[in-house]
Amino acid sequence: MTFGRRHRAALAVCGLGLLAATGTASAHGGSLAGGGRESLTIPTWLFLSTGGAAVGASFLLASFVTDRAFIERIHGWGRPLSGEFERVLGLVGQLIGVVGLAAVLVIGFVGPTTARTNLAILLVWVGWWAGLAMTTYLLGNAWATLNPLKTLADLLPTLDRSYPDRVGSWPAVAGLLVLVWLEVVSPLADQPRLLASAVAGYSVVTLAGALVFGPDDWFTQADPVERVFRYYGRFAPIGRGEDGLRLRLPGMDLSTPRLVDGPDEVAFVVALLWVTTYDGLVTTPAWRDLTTPLVEPGVPPHLLYPVALAIGFGFFLGVYRLAVRLSSDISDTYLTPAVLAQRFAPPLIAIAVGYHFAHYLGYFLVLAPSLAVALASPFADPATVPTLELPEWFGAIALTSVIVGHLVAIWVAHAAAYDLFPARLQAIRSQYPFIAVMVFYTMTSLWVVSQPEVALPHL
Amino acid sequence: MTETVATTDEQPASPSATEETYDVPADAETYDCSYCGRPFAREDWLALHRGLAHPNDLDDAEVEAFRAAHEDEEESLATFRLQALGALVLIYFGLLMIYALV
Repeated sequence: MTFGRRHRAALAVCGLGLLAATGTASAHGGSLAGGGRESLTIPTWLFLSTGGAAVGASFLLASFVTDRAFIERIHGWGRPLSGEFERVLGLVGQLIGVVGLAAVLVIGFVGPTTARTNLAILLVWVGWWAGLAMTTYLLGNAWATLNPLKTLADLLPTLDRSYPDRVGSWPAVAGLLVLVWLEVVSPLADQPRLLASAVAGYSVVTLAGALVFGPDDWFTQADPVERVFRYYGRFAPIGRGEDGLRLRLPGMDLSTPRLVDGPDEVAFVVALLWVTTYDGLVTTPAWRDLTTPLVEPGVPPHLLYPVALAIGFGFFLGVYRLAVRLSSDISDTYLTPAVLAQRFAPPLIAIAVGYHFAHYLGYFLVLAPSLAVALASPFADPATVPTLELPEWFGAIALTSVIVGHLVAIWVAHAAAYDLFPARLQAIRSQYPFIAVMVFYTMTSLWVVSQPEVALPHL
Repeated sequence: MTETVATTDEQPASPSATEETYDVPADAETYDCSYCGRPFAREDWLALHRGLAHPNDLDDAEVEAFRAAHEDEEESLATFRLQALGALVLIYFGLLMIYALV
């Protein structure tokens, strides 16, 4: 079992408190997911309705805040952080990033072959994808500085072909879907050699792209990882303003106009949300039952997974666009649907952040001691590695983070609507379709985590 | 309106930025803002928009129109608040009952 994915799958499980996952802190550190999802003590329909009702009720509560000045004050609050040490910090960060990449490649190829003692595996999944991503939305986007490939690309020459504007960030959308597909179907979190190969492959593609189009264009437009971190970073309380670093309230920057610009970037935000669901969906019994009649007559399973990923993404994007169109009709505005789509996409990032935190906080804490041990002696292969036992109440934190993610999203969309429409009731009404979609999304996610987890079928 | 200054970790504007912002049906009646050209479907929305987006440019008639539209808005908001409160009460007690029964 892959621990990156399993973990994500078990996601808000541990998160949802009601469902605190059990499992021994043993092999793979996938321990939290290891015990599977626990059954509920209340009927599933009630569990789902409660989640949906919580989201709906939050919207009603947000609609009571109709003071424009108050909303603007909250979103505009901020102060500069003086930073003379910034340059030094930046250099140190770049150095750490490059050393980290080298460590992943070297230890991945020649280090111990057990996942739980291999530094490459722990550094990528625990240190980077769980730990660094969490600091990105809790503090600020350090990956913008750490990114070793950007540092390397800046040192290399570039052909400086002009990046085709028409393509925009679609390569990033496709890249994100491909990365998640690889993560789901291959044991990337179990086999250090495979992981190192994947990292090497990704590095080559990225450096080649930067070589042809120049690092600036490549990393702002086409690189999916850079973009995920940049979007997560927009949630963070520390951001980069015109004159250096700036402190702001968490999540409130998501209402800024032009944060998401163009249908390609809207698609990326939707993809970010969809992959979170996909990841858990493929380990539910319902998915197994649904696909068995397809696989038995001979549909190759290796085709099934990417096709389902693409179809689901299309469906999510379609639902979002439908909501935008409805919103445009209900609010009786002459703004184009494209403008609304761009303005109401960033709040979804807050939801993605909530789910990421719910998935990975426990995962990170459990395995952080193993990471520390592996850092201290990267070539050793101890029989046992320390892990942290999480207390029972821990699930409540993840539950809270999922809910807080939704609350922030509702609030930010509320503020964006106020900014967009002159009449306040018009702004509130414009949110109806989005709230309906959000309720539906919450219920789907809760349904996924309330299902028992089964092994990835047919593979 | 909040014109939050674009920050530098925002990406450069993509080509779509220059695309059309407004989509007015051919036969629709519009009230266009004389300061920025933005079209609205209702006259009081235009009045509100003028007060919010161009507060320093208005003449007396426009200020008066904004005041009137604002007052109307307050009234309809009060009605909406009551409805929203009703919905909240329904959700809360509805779930409470269901939990008691299940």
